[in-house]
Amino acid sequence: MVIRRKHLNVLVTLFFAVVIAVVFQQIATDMAEQGIASGGPYDNAAAYPRTIALLLGFLIVLKIAVGLVFRTPSTEPDEGIEVASLSKPFLMLVVFAVYLSLLSWIGYHIATPPMLLAVMYIAGVRNPVALIALALGMSLFFAFMFEFFLKIVLPGGVFRLVIPWS
Amino acid sequence: MMKFNPIKTGLAVAVSLMIGAGAALAEFPERTIELIHPWSPGNAMSVSQIIAKAMSDELGVALPVISTPGAAGTKGMITAMGRPADGYTIMDGYVAPLVLQPVLGNADWTYADYKPLHAAVSNAFAIGGRPDETRWSNFEEMMAYGKANPGKLRYSSGSRNNLPHMVIAKVLQSYGVVAQNIPYSADGNAVKDLKSGVLDFSFINVGNYKQDPSAFNIMLVLSELPGAKASYDGAPSIVDLNVDLGLSGLAPMGWTWWIVHRDTPDDVTEKLRTAMTAAMKRPDVREAIEAVGFVPLDWDHTQYEEIVGPVSGQLGAMGNALAWEEEELKKLK
Amino acid sequence: MIVDSLADGFALFLTPLAIGLTLLGVLFGLLIGALPGLGPLMGIILMLPVVIGLPPVAAMGFLIAIFVGGSCGGSISAILLRIPGTPLAAATLFDGFPMAQKGRASDAIGIAISASALGGLFGGIVLIMASPLLANFAANFAPPEYSMLAITGLIAISVISGGSVINGLIAGCFGLLLATIGTDEFSTGYRFTFGSHHMLNGFHIVAVVVGLFAISEMAHQMMGKDMLKSPDIDVARPGLGTIILTMKHWINVLRSSTIGAFFGALPGAGGVISSFTSYAAAKALSKSDEKYGEGAEGGVVATEAANNATVGGTLVPTLALGIPGDASSAMLLGALLILGIIPGPEMFVHNGEIVGGIFLVYLASNVLLLFVGIMVTPMFVYVLKIPKSHLVPIVLLLCSIGTFALQASVFDLMVMFAFGLIGILFRATNIPLAPVVIGIILGPLLENNFRRSMLISQDGLWIFAERPVSAVLAVINVVLIAGAVVLTLRGWRRSLASAEA
Repeated sequence: MVIRRKHLNVLVTLFFAVVIAVVFQQIATDMAEQGIASGGPYDNAAAYPRTIALLLGFLIVLKIAVGLVFRTPSTEPDEGIEVASLSKPFLMLVVFAVYLSLLSWIGYHIATPPMLLAVMYIAGVRNPVALIALALGMSLFFAFMFEFFLKIVLPGGVFRLVIPWS
Repeated sequence: MMKFNPIKTGLAVAVSLMIGAGAALAEFPERTIELIHPWSPGNAMSVSQIIAKAMSDELGVALPVISTPGAAGTKGMITAMGRPADGYTIMDGYVAPLVLQPVLGNADWTYADYKPLHAAVSNAFAIGGRPDETRWSNFEEMMAYGKANPGKLRYSSGSRNNLPHMVIAKVLQSYGVVAQNIPYSADGNAVKDLKSGVLDFSFINVGNYKQDPSAFNIMLVLSELPGAKASYDGAPSIVDLNVDLGLSGLAPMGWTWWIVHRDTPDDVTEKLRTAMTAAMKRPDVREAIEAVGFVPLDWDHTQYEEIVGPVSGQLGAMGNALAWEEEELKKLK
Repeated sequence: MIVDSLADGFALFLTPLAIGLTLLGVLFGLLIGALPGLGPLMGIILMLPVVIGLPPVAAMGFLIAIFVGGSCGGSISAILLRIPGTPLAAATLFDGFPMAQKGRASDAIGIAISASALGGLFGGIVLIMASPLLANFAANFAPPEYSMLAITGLIAISVISGGSVINGLIAGCFGLLLATIGTDEFSTGYRFTFGSHHMLNGFHIVAVVVGLFAISEMAHQMMGKDMLKSPDIDVARPGLGTIILTMKHWINVLRSSTIGAFFGALPGAGGVISSFTSYAAAKALSKSDEKYGEGAEGGVVATEAANNATVGGTLVPTLALGIPGDASSAMLLGALLILGIIPGPEMFVHNGEIVGGIFLVYLASNVLLLFVGIMVTPMFVYVLKIPKSHLVPIVLLLCSIGTFALQASVFDLMVMFAFGLIGILFRATNIPLAPVVIGIILGPLLENNFRRSMLISQDGLWIFAERPVSAVLAVINVVLIAGAVVLTLRGWRRSLASAEA
């Protein structure tokens, strides 16, 4: 399977269409209920986002129109990209998403080494000693830098796992 | 900065990794405590950092201040109270999120839902104009002008529906004057626009005043406390007016009282209270706070109800001033 | 008088403590600026408690040096990794990253540092010579003028967005919309918060920037073939020769520093707007053989000279009026007050020696930035030698910690991730990312000042014509927009003609 530029263009146009739709939906419902969708500049919080959303809509339409008018026959070949070649970045994003969603629950010290290990594995590192040592080492090193020097409290999770550095 | 002991840390790492939850049994405090501050970085945050630093000296752990602005301080309040009630999160309980927003119906808590540590600081406001103003020279004259020209005066209280706005609206209501409040994202810009003639009057805090006393005509100090009047070099205060606003004590002022979640264990709360009380007594801390134009407060946790209770009552009683101003402005349109 | 202040300040500055802390501040600033997430503001906030109790000039030296170093540090990661370490460096990657791709990473960083230092020194001269004048000008810059200036900034988007003007404007509008999320300061109502308290102050701009640029870039890196191999890149030490390289662009340095110092002096405008505007000006005025967007030295010079000159400019209203120009200078102002010094006109009279000392530490920070920066550059460039298989997880981790540290918020991490996905989509469809950043910065400036102007005005839109400065800016805007439209239409007609031919 191949993803082509035209598929992506449809996707991004849809994305902006959803953004514009959300603006109008929120103005009509939530903002109207709060009483901030009408009146003068003191009370009307809807006029400005509505204007920008309309401008965005106009630009999208203009972009499509320009694209139709200047449809120069394939000066840029749209060969697209094999879905299979996207497996590594996709897996990285999945691992990262899982990491971020687990972070506040199980805490930094438990969540971080497996994330680092998984990303390195996806990137092709296979030596188990290197994987484990680097994952633990990096996790502890950066925790030390931020917690000890900058006094930043990293997520402790339900276990309240923290390292008292000093 | 604290010394780093590799052996001790190595042991601690090993131990905490093995027993995990066991660390909670150790003596409080054993790690960094965070103070949630409800405003953007600025003078108020610097003041909180002074007290936090002193408390950190007492407790032996770091105490960073985290700026969490949004929705007149309520975002910080919700954030702080959503954290575990273990004493490792303290809320910088400014009057706006603690008392005013509940009074205005924008929050579902009251000040009594929290455990107080100690009163921190207060900050008096005044209504100021320009010294070269030709249309009036004092507050009563400005009110006469405002009465004759409804809806024409432009002023700023910083943000809309904040404490200075409520107090100024109450004063204006007592005189039957309708004026337009102009909200600003940064108080400094409101002061700048007052000086350049874009605004007719503005709320001025002690810090603004001290930076350039000759640039302002302080027409009314919004506090009945003699100390506040003195901060503005004896300018007229609400005591000198012929109308009774029904405001006393801390009610017309900005202030903060550091609080923790009500489920915080008593021994932990006690340690924080002791540390904060000691911090607030330190002469260098008081001096630094005063340098920023704030007043250090001496009330400890036993006086929370006695001090904050009346504020809540008085603000509740004048809650209609803001609504009154909005109504009158709409009528003029 | 200013000479007396400087002379008196010299004694306060010439102590081992003050000089040592300034040096340390520059280093710390460079590092914290280069890390994705944390920037000069967080650097100052984190270090403020450390300096309470120190002599004022030494304390301010440390904090101002963090500001100076941090304003430059973001360019290092922009050049090396295509990740702006701070929003300030979002425009630096237009040409900085292509330069690195062409094997000129050391040169690019050297130029970024030299231009920052030179721009910063220029800003310092402005600060010393023109403080009262600029402060007076800034004091009369009111909401109508800010509204007009914000529109000028939006026009700059159409200049910077290389290939497609429409795509750039689309991205800019998206940024403007993002900026409306949260509590509206006029109505006090909540916009697009979907009932979540996390959204009450909108999205944190740093979470958005890190997501858009860094996460999408890491996904891009994962598509590479040889991720285990150490890239074969020559890590040359950028000699002091890059200063000469930068000096060759002296007109650009002067113009960009002037723009930077000007925007800095206006409270609320700030470094992002000045770096984008300078870039737009440099590009619009460039010779045809300089390929902006493909690794032109002038592009790096323009953005970096501008955003460091902004620091000097920002100190003007902060010190002379007591009105902070941005959040970082608001913290500096707080620090000054804690140290027992009240900024404002009074300070120039009663604490002249402190004013002189602050001017000196600011100048010293920039001189130190030049030498220290160039000395430590190889250390940073070494990052390029790390195999991608190790670099990607480290960057992901740094992005997570750096973004989390802003407000100790896990929600910010979710925002970062979501914008990572949006960044991937935008990149795949040639929608430029940088205009989103300038849109987020300009959004509140435009909306709030426009609404403020309308509230202040007693006769509607006429307020923009009645005030001379706002009227002049309005005319300039009309001319710029007309020019942009004419140029775009002419370009279309030409390509239409060539397509038919």
